Amino acid sequence: MNSARQNIMVVDDTVANLKLLADILADQNYSVRPVPDGKLALSAAQAHPPDLILLDIMMPDISGYDVCIQLKADERTRDIPVIFLSAKSDVTDKVKAFSVGGLDYVTKPFQAEEVIARVETHLKLRRLQKELEEKNERLEDTLRQLKTTQDQMIQREKMAALGQLIAGVAHEINTPLGAIRASISNVTKAMENSIERLPLLFGELSAQQRSDFMALVKTALSNTERLSSREARKTRKLLTKKLASREINEAASVAATLVNMRVYKNLPPFMALLKAPNNTFIVQTAYQLVMQQNNSQNIVMAVERASKVVFALKTYTHFDESGKKLKADLAQSIEVVLTLYHNHLKHGIEVSTHYEDAPEILCYPDELNQVWTNVIHNAIQAMEGRGRLDIRIGRQNGNIRVRFTDSGPGIEAAILEKIFDPFFTTKRAGEGSGLGLNMVRRIIDRHEGKIEVESYPGETTFSFLFPIEAG
Amino acid sequence: MPKKAILCVDDEEMILTSLKDQLQNHFEDRYQYEFAESADEALEVVEELSEDGMEVLVILSDWLMPGMKGDEFLIKIHERFPGIVTVLLTGQADEAAIEKTRQHANLHRCLFKPWSEKELIETLVSGLEKT
Repeated sequence: MNSARQNIMVVDDTVANLKLLADILADQNYSVRPVPDGKLALSAAQAHPPDLILLDIMMPDISGYDVCIQLKADERTRDIPVIFLSAKSDVTDKVKAFSVGGLDYVTKPFQAEEVIARVETHLKLRRLQKELEEKNERLEDTLRQLKTTQDQMIQREKMAALGQLIAGVAHEINTPLGAIRASISNVTKAMENSIERLPLLFGELSAQQRSDFMALVKTALSNTERLSSREARKTRKLLTKKLASREINEAASVAATLVNMRVYKNLPPFMALLKAPNNTFIVQTAYQLVMQQNNSQNIVMAVERASKVVFALKTYTHFDESGKKLKADLAQSIEVVLTLYHNHLKHGIEVSTHYEDAPEILCYPDELNQVWTNVIHNAIQAMEGRGRLDIRIGRQNGNIRVRFTDSGPGIEAAILEKIFDPFFTTKRAGEGSGLGLNMVRRIIDRHEGKIEVESYPGETTFSFLFPIEAG
Repeated sequence: MPKKAILCVDDEEMILTSLKDQLQNHFEDRYQYEFAESADEALEVVEELSEDGMEVLVILSDWLMPGMKGDEFLIKIHERFPGIVTVLLTGQADEAAIEKTRQHANLHRCLFKPWSEKELIETLVSGLEKT
């Protein structure tokens, strides 16, 4: 039965008892260490902790109780099961034996079978307890590892979202930068050209023509209307026909330049000028002046665009070091995410927003940005880049309700209840960690908010409810 | 003799505005410049010009646009008008899309925003030499 040869220490000041117990236990194939007094027992147990101790109570110098108290006080011997042996059979003695940490009590004179049975039971209990402790430790360790892995995955998820965002932002910034760089070169060129051409032109023009020329430039500069490419093309075609019908040379070229200059409405005052034989030189020189304004305006627009993106980026990553909630406007925070996602959305997604007046709420703004990012990103993926995304903010029973409705294929009912579970994903391996919506739920929980999902083919709605704080 | 055309496609008006004057400043009246804010509009323009008997020499197209993207658009153009020189002008490098355009639309060059006037003109001049 005891193949492991478990080690039992027997402590008794009566040599005959010691011998008897040692024999009984040795017969059961235990390894026995007989010890005649308490002090020796303590030092021996500390040096080589046995698996179990049989401890006599009544001993000279130091009693079994005190030995037990000291065993329990020492880290090395605390967990060794102690069974008391005593002739005393008073209830109070037994109670004391248990109160100092004994596990069991055998009354002398004892029966060999009883001692063996109790020893076996306690060794078994001790072994089971040890196994349990080890298992617990292993489980705790596994749990720790899982938590670390989960933290890493959440981090990776955030980094992946950030990566996509940065790619989009790069595009959003490079576009205005491209326009700025090109427009600056245009302004420089136009200025050089103007300086070169104006004296030549003015030498060729009559006083009346000069005055018409200045009027043409002024008309162009005062019109800030911007035509779409389609409108410009249409206008240019009409104007070409009109000019050709008035027998104006190079009608197509002159018309193109006039449309570039945004002079196409009230032309009669300029007809005389346009009929001049050097008309292309005249309008192109005028255009060189207008070009400086056009491109300056273009730069202003581009700078505004870039600033908007940078502002959105700054707001997106803004979070309070104190870890306290801040007052924030939900519509504004959604707009920030839409600005950054403009690049992903503009491929083929029609975004509509309806924001009712809603008070600012106390929240963790950077976390809510992550919620909007996740939901918008999921919607884009569900719609495979084409469809409609409707975003609404409104009030409902003391809550602010934020709704995102996409025109994607919908979420199957069987899956619907799992979408917030960690690591649940319908995306292919490598595309999603399955943590996005889990993160969303944890963030909404932190805001004491509620999430509702409704999904039909062609219409999936994620609603977020945030309580409006009293006062 | 009708002029030949250069077509620029970008969903951002600010890009078209700046390209228009760069082309005007460099090539002056030698070509007709056409602009479209989407691939679909650009396809219409090319068809219209072709009906009018006007030849499009070069198309300079953005990649990331609403609806049809630049690679798909240039491939379509190349299938129908293999003589047109194709150039991408993109704010975001998508290697796969560039490679696809290289293979299926005989991409002449890919420029990245913000581009320099020098590289734009060099690209267009070398592209025009091919036509």
